Amino acid sequence: MIWDALTDPVLRAPTLGSMLMCLASALVGVIVVLRKRSLVGEALSHAAYPGVVLAALFTALFFPDSEDGFAFIILIGAFLSALLGLWTIELLQTKFRVKADAALCFVLSVFFGCGILIASRVQFTHPLWYQKIQMFLYGQAATMTDQHVVIYGSLCLLTVLFIALLYHPIQAVSFDRDFAKSTGIAVQWLEGATFFLLVLAIVIGIRSVGVVLMSGMLIAPVVAAKQWTHRLFTLFVLSALFGTLSGFFGNYFSTEIPRWVSGKFSLPTGPMILLCASLFCFFSLLLSPGSGLLSRCFRIYKFRRKCRQENVLKAYWKGDEPDASRFFLWILYMQGWLRKDGAGYHLSPDGRHRAAQIVRLHRLWEVYLVDYMGQGVERVHRNAEEMEHILTPELEKELTILLQDPKRDPHHQPIPGKEGL
Amino acid sequence: MPGNSAVKVEHLTVNYDKTPVLWDISFEVPPGKLVGIIGPNGAGKSTLIKAALGIVKPLSGKVLFFGRPLKKVRQRVAYVPQRSSVDWDFPITALDVVLMGRYGRLKWVKWPQAADKEAAKAALEMVGMLGFAHRQIGQLSGGQQQRLFIARALLEEADIYLMDEPFAGVDIATEQAIVALLEKLKTQGKTLFVVHHDLNTVERYFDWVIMLNMCLVKAGPTAEVFQSDAIVRTYGKSAVLLDEAARLSQHKASGKK
Repeated sequence: MIWDALTDPVLRAPTLGSMLMCLASALVGVIVVLRKRSLVGEALSHAAYPGVVLAALFTALFFPDSEDGFAFIILIGAFLSALLGLWTIELLQTKFRVKADAALCFVLSVFFGCGILIASRVQFTHPLWYQKIQMFLYGQAATMTDQHVVIYGSLCLLTVLFIALLYHPIQAVSFDRDFAKSTGIAVQWLEGATFFLLVLAIVIGIRSVGVVLMSGMLIAPVVAAKQWTHRLFTLFVLSALFGTLSGFFGNYFSTEIPRWVSGKFSLPTGPMILLCASLFCFFSLLLSPGSGLLSRCFRIYKFRRKCRQENVLKAYWKGDEPDASRFFLWILYMQGWLRKDGAGYHLSPDGRHRAAQIVRLHRLWEVYLVDYMGQGVERVHRNAEEMEHILTPELEKELTILLQDPKRDPHHQPIPGKEGL
Repeated sequence: MPGNSAVKVEHLTVNYDKTPVLWDISFEVPPGKLVGIIGPNGAGKSTLIKAALGIVKPLSGKVLFFGRPLKKVRQRVAYVPQRSSVDWDFPITALDVVLMGRYGRLKWVKWPQAADKEAAKAALEMVGMLGFAHRQIGQLSGGQQQRLFIARALLEEADIYLMDEPFAGVDIATEQAIVALLEKLKTQGKTLFVVHHDLNTVERYFDWVIMLNMCLVKAGPTAEVFQSDAIVRTYGKSAVLLDEAARLSQHKASGKK
């Protein structure tokens, strides 16, 4: 069963650990994305790497037997290193006037480069420890123990408490920093605490997904959640949900897929977790009702069909032969805009009314363009062809008042009157 | 004498890095006035407001509200920032934005209560936007967004309002509605500061003006100080020299060529 991953003694710790880590990073990710600081996560996760390497070296030299202490020392090393990265970014921006993106790239590459340099040396001096360092590069959840779960659980709880208790100040500072400051909210304190949490989330996260993919776990659940809601509270909840589910399924698939294909190999957990998060992202971008690609395509299709319909009705109104298939005309007939009359179709009273309305909008718009925008009479038809499908009743009303309900358009054609106006 | 003036600014100087933005500004405004802050671009109008609210740290000088520093009377001072200063795609509804007006009074971990929400709705109603309470703010027009910010300031129930360009990018009807609201607040004894651009309407809207061009050109009742010589000095070339000197000083100080 799928839930065995949560009870199985071998799988339990890695699964829970990854879920907690993804939960924390998805929550912090919301704040980071809203402040438009997405790249900071990328820079800081890479900046944590030299800390990991040095911490491993430190443990190898002084506490080579301490298996328990290792996880903790690594956390501290990564934390300090990421903080140093953060401080360097600040310094570059304030003292040296380096642009934000350049400062981030600089810290990312220099810190990561240093980490790799030291690691390549460690590979020869302490090959066993090099193995352990390597798992922070791409993440390795499989070797997590209950001890990890306790550490990650408490750090995760800290994040959830912070956001739940300070939800409103966080909202105010993220939306309108100056206003928040004017009401007396301790903005600097809050921002400092947020960065602290960000660094914490990264330090927790690199154990499961690695420094290279970490920023994805900050961003992907938020991007997915953003497609579904316009409320910050829901955004936090959805983002946490997507993150936690990614953590779970990433672990699940990394053990299950090899079993399905009966191969004797294992899939790395970190990339699997990120792939799951990306799938959430992908489907959200595709399917969400508001801004999803599918619903947008559907709305575009509906608008185009409306334009075609209105053009056909307009053609009948003018007495032209409409350019449409018999099926298309049949649909208009079924909708009640057309009537059957022996040989062919002609407008029903409703259809006549709607067609007149379209022609009215078209000609009103032409008058507006010529009289108020100073366009040449011969050049306004094309634009009016489009606007006749778009103008709303409110705009029509304003146009009518502005133009004093004209009776003829610039081409001296009559403008159908507005009944009951 | 404390208590006689709503706002008293004493020798306020503000620098961005080494560049001075405001030079030694001093003035006093009695309560119950509608005050226009006018001056050309880069004259430091927004900076004056931000310095008064503690958003920007002044180099020297102080600002007193009812004779007391901001920290003691923060809840009696409300702020309307420039509309362009925030991201209108932010996931938040109009009502939640207005509710922020109460955040200053909430203790750190307390959530807004039903009474706060009712008050927020009343504030929305005052600016004629109750029907948009649950809209995402990005769907509002420019004028509606501006009124939203004013509703948020109303919810602060302050005695002094500092508004940064509330008429920027709004249509005439909205401008008239906002002016009527400001007049109403004035008759309730509130003091309102409005950063303003349109010189044509200064005399009609404001009974007090602060004319600014990095230095204080003049401050006082509109009828007395809003005269052509002061306007020329405010918008004239004399400040360009100061501006250029400040720019050079910044370059030298930071070692640029």
